[in-house]
Amino acid sequence: MTVDTASPAHRSGSIKRFFERFPFLPALIILIVLLVLNGIYQPRSVSMIGITSLVKTYLALMLLAVAQTYVVYAGDIDLSVGAILSLVNVVVITLMQQWGGGALPIFGAMAAGLAVGLACGVVNGIVVAAFRLQAIVATFATSIFFTGLALYVMPVAGTPAPTAFWRTYGGSLFQVPFVFYVVAVLAALLFALTRTRLVTHLLSVGDDAPAAFQTGLPVTAIRIKGYALCGLFSALAAFCVTGDTASGDPLVGGKMTLFSVAAAVLGGSALSGGFGTVVGSVVGALIIGLINSLVYFIGTPSEWQNLVQGLAILLALMIGVLVGRMARR
Amino acid sequence: MSKLKLSGVAKSYGATVALSRGDLELEAGEVHVLIGSNGSGKSTLCKIVAGSVKPDSGEVLLDGNPVTVTGPQAAKALGIGIFYQELSLAGHRTVEENICLPDLPMRGPFIDRKALSQRAARYIALFDGVTGQGFSADATVDSLRADQRQLVEIMKALATEAPILIFDEPTSALDRSQVERFFEILRRLKENGRAMVFISHRMDEIFAIGDRVTVIRDGATVGTSRISEAKPAEVIHLMVGEQEDLVERQAPASAAQPSAGDAALTGKHLTGPGFADVSFQVAKGEILGFGGLHGQGQSAVLRAIFGASTVDSGEVLLGGERFTPKNPRQAITHGIAYVSGDRGRDGIIQGRPILENLTPVHFLRERLFLARPSALRAKAQPAMGSLRTKFGGFALPIGSLSGGNQQKVVIARWLIDRPDVLLLDDPTKGIDLSAKADLFSLIRELAAQGLGIVLYSSEDAELLVNADRILVFNGGRITRELTGTDRTRYNLYEAAYEAAA
Repeated sequence: MTVDTASPAHRSGSIKRFFERFPFLPALIILIVLLVLNGIYQPRSVSMIGITSLVKTYLALMLLAVAQTYVVYAGDIDLSVGAILSLVNVVVITLMQQWGGGALPIFGAMAAGLAVGLACGVVNGIVVAAFRLQAIVATFATSIFFTGLALYVMPVAGTPAPTAFWRTYGGSLFQVPFVFYVVAVLAALLFALTRTRLVTHLLSVGDDAPAAFQTGLPVTAIRIKGYALCGLFSALAAFCVTGDTASGDPLVGGKMTLFSVAAAVLGGSALSGGFGTVVGSVVGALIIGLINSLVYFIGTPSEWQNLVQGLAILLALMIGVLVGRMARR
Repeated sequence: MSKLKLSGVAKSYGATVALSRGDLELEAGEVHVLIGSNGSGKSTLCKIVAGSVKPDSGEVLLDGNPVTVTGPQAAKALGIGIFYQELSLAGHRTVEENICLPDLPMRGPFIDRKALSQRAARYIALFDGVTGQGFSADATVDSLRADQRQLVEIMKALATEAPILIFDEPTSALDRSQVERFFEILRRLKENGRAMVFISHRMDEIFAIGDRVTVIRDGATVGTSRISEAKPAEVIHLMVGEQEDLVERQAPASAAQPSAGDAALTGKHLTGPGFADVSFQVAKGEILGFGGLHGQGQSAVLRAIFGASTVDSGEVLLGGERFTPKNPRQAITHGIAYVSGDRGRDGIIQGRPILENLTPVHFLRERLFLARPSALRAKAQPAMGSLRTKFGGFALPIGSLSGGNQQKVVIARWLIDRPDVLLLDDPTKGIDLSAKADLFSLIRELAAQGLGIVLYSSEDAELLVNADRILVFNGGRITRELTGTDRTRYNLYEAAYEAAA
């Protein structure tokens, strides 16, 4: 097509298209602003050590936000990701403790953890997609159930992880912190997943489920697979928490659930489904992390920290939504 | 042997019969036109073939073998492709993704983007030059105009390469050049031996592309004939049936004959989204009918007058005074009432008691802030009484009533403080017969009390029986006025099916 590229109509159209393809751009800008602010108030926070510790602490939330994003793609939601994380955390710690701290037992325990995450995801998927219960209530119920299981496996927090496990997570390989390898593998994995049929199917279901059904897509199976993927990524997030805290805690993930939803929205995903990116959710998780550290760095008295943190997240959400809306107009 | 044969296919939704006896024989290498009035069951028949609706009874034969189409996936496997009237597109996905969505090309575990683009490009190229500005393979469907979306749905149906293709109103938003291109493609597919079903409401299109025509009336197939041997008038006769010459009016005309100059509501050259240059006048005591096919602008005009959508130009006079509809609240305080056929969306307040469903308009018009339930009940009682509604008590939830009685509650809501103008937007959709009869006797009573009433109904019989005059809509404009003995089914259908300019 030959359209005059200088015409304003076309220019605004291309900006619109740019934002449609990269809906996480507003979030990325917020992220950079926050990094700069962090650097101003605490120069050491933007050093190698500072960034490493930030990633180490918030890698779990990044993964959990990614997990949430796959169900949000299909217009669903999973309020049990935090509970799945807790359950996998205590299962992995318990198994490592029973089997000993060698390499093989550690990998065996992690495989078992992935299986637990997958199973939890499939349960959620069947309850929501096959039995057609409201996702928000059904996964709230399963989250209580999963938390109950976690408390059965480990009634009291505190069992330590094997030294080899957390030393590796917190350590370095060829002078590069281990978590950066994890981030690299994660990036490759997310890129690969973006190109799978499942992700396109999930987004199509989120766009218009009846239309997807009429197109001949197996809508129920697709939604169950979305929850299964979510369970797997929740298990991966659990490994990061285990590496970071070096201990088991049956309630460690509870508070993270809604942060994962917030991260997905900050990253530009639509909770109504059909629209979003996992990269955006990762950026959203980092924004939440940077807000938390900034609140600390500017020296907020402890009794005001929650209030400032809440306002800052609200502000970030507003900026992201408003910028996105203006760009798309 | 027919490529596809349906015999005695039926489908009911609760008490509503969508299709009572659907018969169809589709040959390879033909374009088979399905025609019938609003709600006659054409779309239901198509969806049964496509597997998205399960029939209650009847038989489907494919190449002579009985088959059960268990779902859209099964239909795909059997070689049936369909263009859905309401479209089946994913709005945030690109044009090329939508075209290939039913069968994404894979390379190992990943989508083969290159193959996908190439395949989509083949079907986009078919419409080269007529797709219009802004249409490209990587544009999201949401960013496209209505006609462009329809083209994408056509491409998607074509891309299935299915031996049987069903097109349920594929041309309703297309312009001339796009329709001509589409027909060229259909002719080529016909030569290749594809079997195609085509639904359209434009008589000229039907005669331009069809080989045979099957007429459906009130959910049953009434006959099939060759297009070359048929005339438009005959087809309309088939659709109308035997009652065509009766002036359908069992009930006496409104007691108070409207006197000119006593206008309750006047529209002058109204133009807005979905309608253009609409002028009409309804007198006090008159029932004015809006007729024609579904979605020709009737609802859009009514909603615009009620302030629920916008009017771009033209003026509305309310009892002789100029009125600019801004929002429904303002319309209500000016004495306009609006009853929608879509109870779930526009009518009832789900999950709340009957009394709360009866009184929101009263609260607004009387500017009430607090009210005693007993006083409200006293007001609501006569309004409900006039509708002969059976209900257990005002405190019961609205969901405890049947669909017909829920709609009666919605109407009663407007009767506590009498409006001057009543707009009825397909008010009897999904309502049983006896409730319908009650509704219309009430509507006539209200007209006799001097209300100006505008009635749009998708059931032509309701209009013919109840309206004093009928304005027929076609393509967002009023194309004909039927008065007195002109109010026949034949005239109504002929006006509705005229080629849209």
